[in-house]
Amino acid sequence: MQASSSNQVHRSSHRLEPVLSKAGWLAFCSLLTIACVVVPILHAALPTSSALQIPTYAVTILGKFACFAMAAIAMDLLWGYAGVLSLGQGVFFALGAYAMGMNLMLSIGSSGVYRSKLPDFMVFLDLKTLPWFWRPFDSFWFAIFAALAVPGTLAFLFGYFSFRSRIRGVYFSIISQAATYALMLLFFRNETGLGGNNGLTDFKNIYGYSLQSDATKVALYILSAAGMCGVYILARWVTTSKAGRVLRAIRDQEARVPFTGYNVVHFKVFAFTLSAMVCGLAGALYVPQVGIINPGELQPANSIEMAIWTAVGGRGTLVGGALGAWLVNAAKSWFTVVLPEWWLYILGTLFIAVTLFFPRGIIGVFARSKA
Amino acid sequence: MNRILPQIDFGLKHLLERRSDAPPPNTGSSGVRKASWKKDTRSRVVAQARYDHLTRGRRAQLCVDDVSVSFDGFRALDELTLILDQGELRCIIGPNGAGKTTLMDVITGKTRPDSGSVFLVGDTTDLTHLSEHEIARRGICRKFQRPSVFQSHSVLENLELALPVGRGVFQSLFARLSSEQRSAIEQILEIIGLKEEREKRAGLLSHGQKQWLEIGMLLAQKPRVLLVDEPVAGMTHHEAERTAEILVGLAGTHTVVVVEHDMEFVRSIAQTVTVLHEGRVLVEGPMHAVQNDPRVIEVYLGVD
Repeated sequence: MQASSSNQVHRSSHRLEPVLSKAGWLAFCSLLTIACVVVPILHAALPTSSALQIPTYAVTILGKFACFAMAAIAMDLLWGYAGVLSLGQGVFFALGAYAMGMNLMLSIGSSGVYRSKLPDFMVFLDLKTLPWFWRPFDSFWFAIFAALAVPGTLAFLFGYFSFRSRIRGVYFSIISQAATYALMLLFFRNETGLGGNNGLTDFKNIYGYSLQSDATKVALYILSAAGMCGVYILARWVTTSKAGRVLRAIRDQEARVPFTGYNVVHFKVFAFTLSAMVCGLAGALYVPQVGIINPGELQPANSIEMAIWTAVGGRGTLVGGALGAWLVNAAKSWFTVVLPEWWLYILGTLFIAVTLFFPRGIIGVFARSKA
Repeated sequence: MNRILPQIDFGLKHLLERRSDAPPPNTGSSGVRKASWKKDTRSRVVAQARYDHLTRGRRAQLCVDDVSVSFDGFRALDELTLILDQGELRCIIGPNGAGKTTLMDVITGKTRPDSGSVFLVGDTTDLTHLSEHEIARRGICRKFQRPSVFQSHSVLENLELALPVGRGVFQSLFARLSSEQRSAIEQILEIIGLKEEREKRAGLLSHGQKQWLEIGMLLAQKPRVLLVDEPVAGMTHHEAERTAEILVGLAGTHTVVVVEHDMEFVRSIAQTVTVLHEGRVLVEGPMHAVQNDPRVIEVYLGVD
């Protein structure tokens, strides 16, 4: 009896780092409740006259921000932990958005402007049949799968070949930026078959539910908020595992890591692919809420903005990325209404100021004041 | 066809020439490797046969065979052959530019030699064909000249990363630390005297402590061959003594190779000493014999 129990003690194994501390779980669960329960209740249960009532358009904006926060967490996983600054994260976001957009496009059916079964832009381009790669997108679940798989595959291939060739640091950033630009040009073309510069729009319903209805909008918001929380836990799980410590080791001292027996290429490709898939998911949740996806979303500036969110919030913290995405986008929403022509200058100044004075971002400022 | 033929011819000619005294043409770092697969296996068979011949009757652990490396025409290693026995403590000395660090680079896969091969006993793979992490996984570990611990990781995490388990991406995602592994880490912490500092970030350790942590990481890797580059550089006398103790304690169960400039330190630990000069082995033998060898004196004093 004693032998067996001591044997059990002997064989016990544990993670070196918990996914979240007790206080962390408490904070996480309260945030999850606020985001997924309190906000919808404030929206639905209060009368429109109440000051605390959250109007539908605001709920949709919050849903959008949650999608951006997901992309920022993905960025932080890659940049803050693996030290890989990809300036092409917007591509993965847009690919996920396009995958979902294709499904939404097909689910319009024949209630489009031209009353054809084909999407409007195809009628406009004089296409007679649906291109082959559009067909499987009839299925909602295939679209979800593609929103993960297409960005994932692209990141896997692009990452594998560049990391294997030991392209790193600023060179990788520049190449990813250039690839983003090239892909944007591709998506602008009508021949690509994805709606050219108009992109995909005029969506009517998603999975059978009308996109105009209040309930669908709130449901999409809840999905995005829950998705953001889920992605955060996933990212925490990765970064607190041994793989996370290997990624940090690569960030700090890449040349040393292979001599400890780790294949640097595999770990970087893993981080890049995972972050691309998260971005794809974020894009897929984003598109039904904004109702349009066009090549503008592939602009290099969008990818750079994601890096700014992460830098402002604080790299290598995950929470920082999400926080940065919320704050910068809230500021953007406000400034683009009040001082639209000043927004880009403000964003640029913010980025420079943060890099110079708060290299560890907002979270870094708080951590320092606590210490 | 015409384009390919001379290339093959060139490859075979080069292979034959290597056996004679004629110096091989400088093919750059990967010139030889780009030749066809068939030629590759053939050279592997030749190398394996030579390896068997060289290590006959010895308890060999690592065999560096006929390795040449050039950097822009400078011969860093010149047909160097070196055999390390199991459990021995070998010191490698030599004046600057003798090829000591290049030798370590070749063994650990950091530098690909222009020609020659490296074999680990009981393994038919030529290590010069493998990448750094594959060589590390085969049990050849290296301590760099400057302490290169992972600065933002705690002492404990540094040792955990060094453990020779779960090195794939997916294994490491699900990796858990068993109590055996934990006690192995505790033992190492005891040996390197960093028990109190286990939660401390490695970047905050003193220089000597970082050196020991790195030695501890090598221990955690359960190596067959330990390559230690200037272990006592920048250490106090006391720290150097402690390091000597650790290294001598490791020999016997591990093959330890120490590259060091500090002759007093070499004298205190050396069993066999190899003197490198201009990329070749000049003398090899016990310390006292090497010290009194006129060629060694000439090389050291002549250069100065």
